[in-house]
Amino acid sequence: MSITNETANLHQNDPAVLCCLRNKGTIISASDLEDPTIVPDLRESGLLTIPEDALTIGQVLGATLKEDTDAMTSLTPDLLDGYSKKTEGSAEIRSSEPVNTGTSQSAGVIKFSISNVQGQIELPDGLANIGLPFTAPTVEKKPEDKIIRTLTQKEFAVQKVCMGTETSFNHGILTLRRDLCADSLKADPLVKAAEVDIIPAEDRHVYANTIMDVMPIATKVEGLLGEGVTHVMSGVVIMLTGVDEKGVQVHEFGSCEGYLDENIRFGRPGCPDPEDIIIRVNVTIQENTGMERRGPYAAHKACDAIIQEIREVLKRAPAEACTKQDVFHDWKRPGKPRVMLVKEIMGQGAMHDNVLLPAEPAGVEGGQRNVDLGNVPVVLSPNEVRDGGIHALTCIGPSTKEDTRHYFREPLVNLMAEDDEINLVGVVFIGSPQVNDEKSYVSARLGAWAEALDVEGAIVTTEGFGNNHIDFAENIDQIGRRGIDVVGVSYCAYQGQLVVGNKHMDAMIELNKDPEGFENEILGDSTLCPEDAERALLMLKTKMAGIPIEPANRQWQQEVIDANQQLIR
Amino acid sequence: MQLTTAQHLKSEIYVPITPPPVWTPLAKPLSECTVAFCTAGGVHLKSQPRFNLSGDYSFRTIPSETPSSELMVSHGGFDNSDVNKDINSMLPIDRLHELEKEGFIGKVAPVLIGFMGGGGNVQKFKQESGPEIAEILKNEGVDIAVFTGGCGTCHRSATIVERAVESVGISTAIIAALPPIAKQQGAPRITAPHVPIGSNAGEPNNVAMQTAILKDTLTAIEEMTTFGQMKTLPYEYRHNV
Repeated sequence: MSITNETANLHQNDPAVLCCLRNKGTIISASDLEDPTIVPDLRESGLLTIPEDALTIGQVLGATLKEDTDAMTSLTPDLLDGYSKKTEGSAEIRSSEPVNTGTSQSAGVIKFSISNVQGQIELPDGLANIGLPFTAPTVEKKPEDKIIRTLTQKEFAVQKVCMGTETSFNHGILTLRRDLCADSLKADPLVKAAEVDIIPAEDRHVYANTIMDVMPIATKVEGLLGEGVTHVMSGVVIMLTGVDEKGVQVHEFGSCEGYLDENIRFGRPGCPDPEDIIIRVNVTIQENTGMERRGPYAAHKACDAIIQEIREVLKRAPAEACTKQDVFHDWKRPGKPRVMLVKEIMGQGAMHDNVLLPAEPAGVEGGQRNVDLGNVPVVLSPNEVRDGGIHALTCIGPSTKEDTRHYFREPLVNLMAEDDEINLVGVVFIGSPQVNDEKSYVSARLGAWAEALDVEGAIVTTEGFGNNHIDFAENIDQIGRRGIDVVGVSYCAYQGQLVVGNKHMDAMIELNKDPEGFENEILGDSTLCPEDAERALLMLKTKMAGIPIEPANRQWQQEVIDANQQLIR
Repeated sequence: MQLTTAQHLKSEIYVPITPPPVWTPLAKPLSECTVAFCTAGGVHLKSQPRFNLSGDYSFRTIPSETPSSELMVSHGGFDNSDVNKDINSMLPIDRLHELEKEGFIGKVAPVLIGFMGGGGNVQKFKQESGPEIAEILKNEGVDIAVFTGGCGTCHRSATIVERAVESVGISTAIIAALPPIAKQQGAPRITAPHVPIGSNAGEPNNVAMQTAILKDTLTAIEEMTTFGQMKTLPYEYRHNV
C-alpha cells in the first residue's frame, strides 16, 4: 500500500521498514513497506530505530514473515525466512565512459548503450544489404570551435607601494598622491572621511574595519570591457573597509572587523593572495546610512575615485614593463552541448547590490546596478565577467560573499569558458529581490532565458544563504522543469541548510570550508574555489550524460565532498 | 559528443522537498467561526466499521453531537493506551463543545472526520479521500479545520488531507507530535506541543492541557500570516509505554 514497485527498485539499498501491521506468513512485497524517503524523519523523531542487522528493501522482497509484526518495524533476519543475503543494488548499473550524449545530429539512428558485454553477438549474413533503416556511415563534418572575442590582459607587477606628491607608476613602484583621499570625498557627499594605508605581505597583523570589498586595479587600454587590451596590476589589491560616523561597521549579516591575519582566507579567488600588497581604503560614511543603499554605494564611489587615478597611470605603463600576458577567448563551439552559468547575486538593496558592466574593469562609474534593473537576469559573456564586468557592493556574511575580485577571477567562469567539451553560451546574472512576488518574477524570466538560449545544461550558483535560497531553489526549478539538466552550487553545510527545495535540486555542490559548517566570518572562506568548480562541472556533464547522481545524505558530511573530489582526474 | 563523466558522484547538499504552498487566510474572528476537527488517528463511532490496520484510505464521518463515550480507535501505528483512556487526546470533541459554550469559537461543525493515516496510500489520500473530506467540510460551512495525526505516515496522511481542505478555502492547522514530517509534507500551519504520538491533543483526562493546546492552535490560525509557519506550544507530557 505504501510504496510502489518502482519506488522499491529505486531504494533497494535503503532499510526495509513495515508500513503496517502484517501477519505471519506474509510474503513481503513493495506494498508492505514504508516509504524510504520518510524513514529518516521517523528516525529523527525517535519513532524508529534501525538496528545494525537491518535488512534492505532489496533483501526482503519475496521473503516470508515468521511472526505477526507491527507497523514501523525495521525488518531483520530473525523476522524473515528466505531473505537474500546480499543486495544487488541499483548502484551496480554501469555505463561506459565517456558516454554519448543525445546531441549527435544524425536523426533516425538507433543507439545502443552497452555497458557490459559477455559472450558474443551473432548477426545473420547479409544484414548490411536488407535495407534496415541504418544510415550509411557518412563522413562527419566536425564543426570547428570559433573564437568570437579576444581579451588580452597585460600584467604589470607592483613591487612596492608608497605615498608621495604625485601618483605614478615606474619600475614596479606605485606612488599614491597624498591628497588623493581628500579629493575622493568629492565623489559623494555621504562620504565624510577616507584614509589610505599600505599593508605589506609581511605585516598582516593589522586591525581593520569590516571588509566591504577587495578589488583589482585594472584599466581598459583598448576596446570595451571583455575585448581588446586591459592592463592589470599584479601583486597588489585594493581593500575597502568602512564604518559610519558613529563607528557602526558597514555590514549586514556578519562582520569581519578585526585583525587581517585572522579574518581573511588569503588566496581565495576573492581575497588578497598571501604575497599581495594591500592598499587599504578606509571610508567613513554619514551616520545611519550604512544600511541604506546610498551609504555603502557612496563608499564604493569614493574608493573608485581613488582607483581611477591609479588606473590613469597604469594605462600609460610602458609595454616593456609588462610582466605577464593572459589571453582569454569567448568561444562558439557549435555541435557541443549548450550550457549556461547562472550567478545569483544579492538584490535586496543596501549592500545587497552589484554594479553590472562599469566603464572600467571592476569599476563603479558607467555601470548599472542590478537593483535598479529590477534584478532581472542579465547576460554577460565570459570575457566580460573576466574583465571586471561585476563590481560587488554586496556585504552578506563575509565567508560566503563574492566580492569584486572574486568575479574578476571566478573559477567556474574560467573553467567553463575554457572547457572544449561544452559550449558555454553566456553567464547570466540574476538578482535576489526583496519581495516574494518579485522573486518569482525574475526566476520565471531566467527560465525563459534558458529556453530561449536553448541550453541543455546549466549551473546555478549563489553567494550567501538564507532568504536568497528561496530564489536559488526557484531558479533551479525554472530551469529543471524545462527538461534542462541543472546543478546547484551554494554554501549550505550546517548553518545554511536549505529550508526549501524541489525535485530538480538533485545534483548539488557544497561550498563550505569551515570544519563546523558555520559562517565563520573569515573573508572568502566558503566561496567558490577552483576545486568546487571542477566538481560542479563534472557533475553537470555526468548528469547531462544521463548517469545518475546519487542522492544526498540527510546531513552535511565533508566525506561526501572529499569522495566527489577524488573523482576529478 | 564526448563528455567527461564519473560514476558514483553524490549530491552534496540535502534538499527538503516541500510541495507548493496552499493558503487560506482566516477571514473572521474565532468567535464567529465554525470549527471542524479531523484526525488521522483512526477514531470512529463504535457502531462504524473498524479501519483496516494494514492501510486504509476510507474515512468515517462523526456527528459532532456524539458523546465521546461512543467513540473508539482502530489504529496499528501507535500505542493506543492513551486514546483508549480518553478519546479527547486525539479528537478533542468534548473540548470543542466547551469552547463553543464559552464563546471562544462560533460553533462546532456538525460533522467531524476520522481516518486511519498509518501506512496511508499517498495517491488515494491526495486524489480521493482528501478532496472528498474537503467537500464535506466545505458544504458544512466550515471556516477552520484542525488536524491530528498519529504515527509518522499518519502525519503525512493528515497533512495531505489538511492541504486538500485548505485548498478549498478553509483555514487549517495540524497539532503535530512529529512536526518535521508535517513541515516537510507542506502543512500550512503547525503547532507542536511536547507530546508523544497518540496524545497529540494533550494528556488523557488532562482537560486543562487539552483546552490550552486547542485554544493556542486556534489562536495560531488567527495569527499566522504565511504558509508553513510552526509554533512550539509550552505543554509537555511524557508517557511510559
